[in-house]
Amino acid sequence: MDQTDLFIIKKLTEDARMSFRKIAKELGISPDTVINRYKALQEKGVIRGSTVVLNPKKIGYPAMAAFMIVASPIHILATEATPADSSLILDKLIQMPNIILATKTVGDHDLLAIGVARDFEHLIKIGDDIANIPGVKDLRVSFWVEKAGLCPKYFII
Amino acid sequence: MTSKVRVDEININIIRALQKNARANFAGIARDCGVSTDTISKRFRKMKRAGVIRGTTVLLNPKSFGYNCVASLGVDVSYPHLREVVELIQRIPEIVFCATSMGKHDIFCIGVLRNVGRLSQVKDLIKGHPLVREVTTNIWVDEILLCPENFEFGHPNR
Repeated sequence: MDQTDLFIIKKLTEDARMSFRKIAKELGISPDTVINRYKALQEKGVIRGSTVVLNPKKIGYPAMAAFMIVASPIHILATEATPADSSLILDKLIQMPNIILATKTVGDHDLLAIGVARDFEHLIKIGDDIANIPGVKDLRVSFWVEKAGLCPKYFII
Repeated sequence: MTSKVRVDEININIIRALQKNARANFAGIARDCGVSTDTISKRFRKMKRAGVIRGTTVLLNPKSFGYNCVASLGVDVSYPHLREVVELIQRIPEIVFCATSMGKHDIFCIGVLRNVGRLSQVKDLIKGHPLVREVTTNIWVDEILLCPENFEFGHPNR
């Protein structure tokens, strides 16, 4: 990656819909070069995709929480034939419509999910749904009071 | 910022299309909705003005920028001093998200760091505050999608 790549990335981070022609003009290079650079950055996995950043409060989803999940110890043991239960739990989590981020973790819990909800009760319901996933042994919840930022990737309204 | 926007079916279609690909062609979305391209771009601008849509952005791989460790940190503090600790945490450049919380942990934050060694330093820094009772770290594994709105390589936004 050189300065040109970084400039393109910076522009698209601020506005992913910015026209390649405009970026090219600012850089003093041809639009084709910008397009080729963008494609190369995607192929190298530097840019994984693009998305719209929403304000969930404005569409009736003001409540957020982190769900920290402990998987059953026996089920974590994976053999080649059966994938680890934490992978199965992860698959279930990312299919839940109000989960905007899910990942396996190493630390005092095995998986982490971030959920967006209409209200407190809705968050409790999401927690119940997570607790009911087979292989979930324990669930700790951190309800966010004051926060900044949000990744919308898995957020479906 | 005061104009009201009803999130109806067309708006939901616009949002869904842009969630998958922020560079999606408005003409294509218009065809799917059976309306004009102009309607779609007007709706998009209106949702932006009303603050429903904050913007569009590309999703980056932190590893490509030398950030190999993403972790969440749960912080427990002596409660009346919550604000002081939040201010300390927000000054750490690698912390891309920080929320005060109820339930498990008093503060929940997310860090994007060069390596586990740096995570350990950050943990010690937070733990070094006399009002912090405990810091629990969890390193994220596998593919994680981060929103670049929170993650700005080199210039964290707080």
